[in-house]
Amino acid sequence: MTITNGRRSGAATGPADPVAIDQWYAITALDEIPIGRTVRTELLGVPMSYCRDHDGSPLAWLTQDSLPAGAPVDARTLHAPLPTLADYGYLWTTVGEPDGGLFDIPETAEPDRRILNAGTFGIFTSGPRAVENFLDMGHLPFVHPGVLGQQPFTEIVDYQVEYRSSEIYAVNCLIFQPKAAAASTSGQMVNYTFRVPHPLCALLYKSTPEDDVRLDVIGLFVHPIDDGRVRAHLFNCLLDTVNTDGQLRRFQQGVLAQDKPILENQVPRQLPLDPDAEAPTRADKTSNAYRRWLSDLGMTYGVVARSNS
Amino acid sequence: MTAPDPGSLLHPVAGCADLVPRHVVKARLLGQDLAVWRADDDFVNVWADRCIHRGVRLTVAANDGAELVCPYHGWRYSNRSGNCAYMPAHPSDAPPRRLRVPTFRSEERYGLIWSGGSPEAEPPRLPHLEGEDTLVLRALPVNAPPDLALQGLLEWPCQPVPAPGDGASISCDSAGPFAVAVTARTGGTEEAVVHFVQPVDGGRCVIRPVMRGAPAADRRLSILRHHARQLEELRTRLESSAGSPVAVRGPSTPLQPLRRPTATAVSGRAPQLEVCVARKWLTAEGIAAFELAPVSGQLPSFQPGAHVDVHLPNGLVRQYSLTNGPGLTSVYRLGVKLEPDSRGGSRCMHVSVHEGDRLQLSEPHNNFPLRRDAARTVLIAGGIGVTPLLAMAQTLQRQELAYELHYFAQSDDHLAFGEVLEPLSTGLVKHLGLSPDQTADEIKKITHDYGTASHLYVCGPGPMIEATRAIAADSGWPEDAVHFEYFKNESELHDASSFEVRLARTGQTLVVGPGVSLLDSLRDAGVDMPSSCEQGVCGTCMATVLEGELDHQDVFFNDSERAAGDRILTCVSRAGGHKIVLDL
Amino acid sequence: MIRLYDYLLSVNCYKQRLLLSILDVPYERVDIDFYPGWEHKGAEFRKINPLGHIPVIDDDGYVLWDAHAILVYLACKYDPSGSWYPTSDPQRLGEVASWMLFAEGTTNTASAARLHVNLGYDFDLEACQAGAHRLFRVLDEHLWFREQQGQAWVASGESPTIADIALFGDVALSEDGGISRLDYPALRRWTERVQRLPGFIDMPGIFPVAKAPA
Ligand code: FES
Ligand SMILES: [Fe+2]
Repeated sequence: MTITNGRRSGAATGPADPVAIDQWYAITALDEIPIGRTVRTELLGVPMSYCRDHDGSPLAWLTQDSLPAGAPVDARTLHAPLPTLADYGYLWTTVGEPDGGLFDIPETAEPDRRILNAGTFGIFTSGPRAVENFLDMGHLPFVHPGVLGQQPFTEIVDYQVEYRSSEIYAVNCLIFQPKAAAASTSGQMVNYTFRVPHPLCALLYKSTPEDDVRLDVIGLFVHPIDDGRVRAHLFNCLLDTVNTDGQLRRFQQGVLAQDKPILENQVPRQLPLDPDAEAPTRADKTSNAYRRWLSDLGMTYGVVARSNS
Repeated sequence: MTAPDPGSLLHPVAGCADLVPRHVVKARLLGQDLAVWRADDDFVNVWADRCIHRGVRLTVAANDGAELVCPYHGWRYSNRSGNCAYMPAHPSDAPPRRLRVPTFRSEERYGLIWSGGSPEAEPPRLPHLEGEDTLVLRALPVNAPPDLALQGLLEWPCQPVPAPGDGASISCDSAGPFAVAVTARTGGTEEAVVHFVQPVDGGRCVIRPVMRGAPAADRRLSILRHHARQLEELRTRLESSAGSPVAVRGPSTPLQPLRRPTATAVSGRAPQLEVCVARKWLTAEGIAAFELAPVSGQLPSFQPGAHVDVHLPNGLVRQYSLTNGPGLTSVYRLGVKLEPDSRGGSRCMHVSVHEGDRLQLSEPHNNFPLRRDAARTVLIAGGIGVTPLLAMAQTLQRQELAYELHYFAQSDDHLAFGEVLEPLSTGLVKHLGLSPDQTADEIKKITHDYGTASHLYVCGPGPMIEATRAIAADSGWPEDAVHFEYFKNESELHDASSFEVRLARTGQTLVVGPGVSLLDSLRDAGVDMPSSCEQGVCGTCMATVLEGELDHQDVFFNDSERAAGDRILTCVSRAGGHKIVLDL
Repeated sequence: MIRLYDYLLSVNCYKQRLLLSILDVPYERVDIDFYPGWEHKGAEFRKINPLGHIPVIDDDGYVLWDAHAILVYLACKYDPSGSWYPTSDPQRLGEVASWMLFAEGTTNTASAARLHVNLGYDFDLEACQAGAHRLFRVLDEHLWFREQQGQAWVASGESPTIADIALFGDVALSEDGGISRLDYPALRRWTERVQRLPGFIDMPGIFPVAKAPA
């Protein structure tokens, strides 16, 4: 893991939430970034731009008037370059001062892994709502019927939520899946582990027919454009030797496109952290833990903070 | 005169004709998003447009005619009450009654649905529209504040009908705080249209015109078109002038949802609900059916398999299962069989209770909950035992889940609730006039092929339940897949023993003497124990056992629950040895 | 057999899948890596459609592109009842043609907004949204008057036509592009009618509706 640019100096920009600001965010899959041409976006409401330099290394900077979208970029003329990381296939940057590098995904070091961005989708929601949806098992039979779940097998049996070195883990999450594996002819119970290492990134570990021990890793990395709009990246780190990239992408994009209208119909867009604001059940243990964890971190961006009463 | 707070009035939120079957209308009133839907029983629900679980808008939910089903996790909300009826992630849990979508007033007048936060307000009555038919014209949403629209309407002498001549004299008058009436007189005829303005929020409104009189069919369409064209013109004007800031009149407080009388949880034997016998009829040979309507407010929600305690005029308390299917939330419907050896309960219901009488009920309890996550559900009913299973069958049918209802009865004349059975046709199998042995053979056939995720529910006479449980166990049904509810405890109770009870929490020690129940001893000692059937059937008087042997005499627990020995039904069961310790 | 060059999340491709399903015509899908592969812009695909867009069908060697043109072809060839593209009724045929052109407008506004929001296409979002709202107002009024005449579909007559199919996808997925249908109650009722047609299939992003009462 390397920091290719220096730390940004100068005044902090963006929301008054140091927790949200001082994080790395995945902006775009590296292989989708044009070389030497400006792409404009926003991060936490701060206008920023990025491209890849002619040597392929990522560049990011606070948007400057002289570089409209599509404009050719000369790294030496950037007024306010932002630090960047090139990890897990994405360009990561920050408008704050993160305490160190990115969380580790040890599986990415295994040589036989297929690592790819299955797709990036813009969604009108907040980062925390998107992450909570990724951690949610109860919706699988309803939002992804016939694929990740199937009615009437809707029961969520008890599972365990643990905190390990300030990350959240939910283990022994069982759900009946009609097509747990490409080769399955009948449904089966599958076992998921969820991991939340970053306020807007979550990972899911799932057994695979191709390996008895190791697990497929699927991640959701959220790029918060502002507190009501995100770009969600679907990260794949799989042991799959059967499907083509196109097939993997079709599958994952189809799933995300089913979640999108749900997320866009949640009100408010920001995630309420008050335990009374929405009615959880035992099945929502992970999302409760996530809400509490954000609350303890002191996150205020993209959430409705707890009332103090 | 100061303008009334818009929050204290009722406003139109939809046209009645917008509420087509199995549809949810999206509306907004004074900044509050609303989901408006008509159930199959024609009740119009106006709800906050937000699932209380994870905030998904209910205007994307499916209206199945009885319940709204949230698309995110499938929570189901009941017609009328807005109570959560089912949480699919927890198939064996009854959702707590506090889980309820905020609901708002809904009234119909002049072809419009009216709603608002005030418990007392009524939709306006306007002389222009009273006493005649009305025609709802096309409503138009306008991106301009309500005040501006009202002002615009006052200054807009539109001819309500296609030009009957130029000589019409047209007047526009305010008709209440949110309506403008337009009257056009030509010669002897007078046409009137009232434009109601629905305040959507500070910057938007919907103009809902209603015309007096029902025009002849051949004029109807041209009137609709004519008016829509004119209103469209007004909208263009309003929207171009809305660009400049205008005073915004919103409610001073957010819209208040309806507050429903919530039954307070009282334990012991106190009744909690007052109902009136709305209908009584003979539904089968020896079986009287009752529909009990609330005297005020709404009935508490319940899940299939639930029963209520009915406090009879003669002082007895009896449990009867609710047969209601989903969506029937305005009454409790139950069936009572006249027992020849009646202790006075069924006789009293048959003979002394009449339509119009008032009765006291407990809240519904459910010791026989239905899971809705089974691949196959088998319901076995013996005689009057069909009542809770009818509620289950209707629920499964509506959710299109696979089930069979095997109804054992003496003859066709003994089949209760034919009007409910009829639409169940595909799942219903009748078994008529069988001897106990033939019944057992039939049950063997029904249960012979157990498959995973199958569940069996049986209710009927004690011997039939016992036979079914034994047969199912032989065919490999696990104990937790076989659910049963006894109507009464037919075994003889043994209460000759005497024993000591220690209450772990209070430290008290009591002695239960022969002929006295543990329940009564606890009550004498000041413990507020709830109870219902007092026959070891319903499970209401359960206590947790910390120590001691038990002598179970109930028909509530299954064998493994008995063996666990950690709970006791205090109404009939006793200590097996000389002492027990209870967690009380 | 018909081969459909397809992308799961393309509304224009979905229109073809929907009609093929309703007409119960077997076909084979060829998945194009539309995003992020931009396969339809590649040299290989341009041999099939030089314009570089999908859907394209290949019906035993007969190749046709343009979503609404394909609907016309499929309906004419595979709907023996002749009701989906009513060539025998000049007035209804005229209406269908008119609303198909209107559907070009919804594609260029509502569905363009969706491409911008989902995939970051370089369109002016606000202009697309405003344009879609203008068209939805017209369509909502039109459908309201249809209902007043006891009719359920975009073109007059008793049965739906390919104009309904052409419009349905753009409308049903408009919220993906941030276009609310709050103000279009008749439009919302019509989308549910389409969803209840025998043979209807959905695509990700469309909420299921309850069955019509028996
Ligand atoms: S959000 Fe409605 S059921 Fe979970
Ligand atoms: Fe999902």
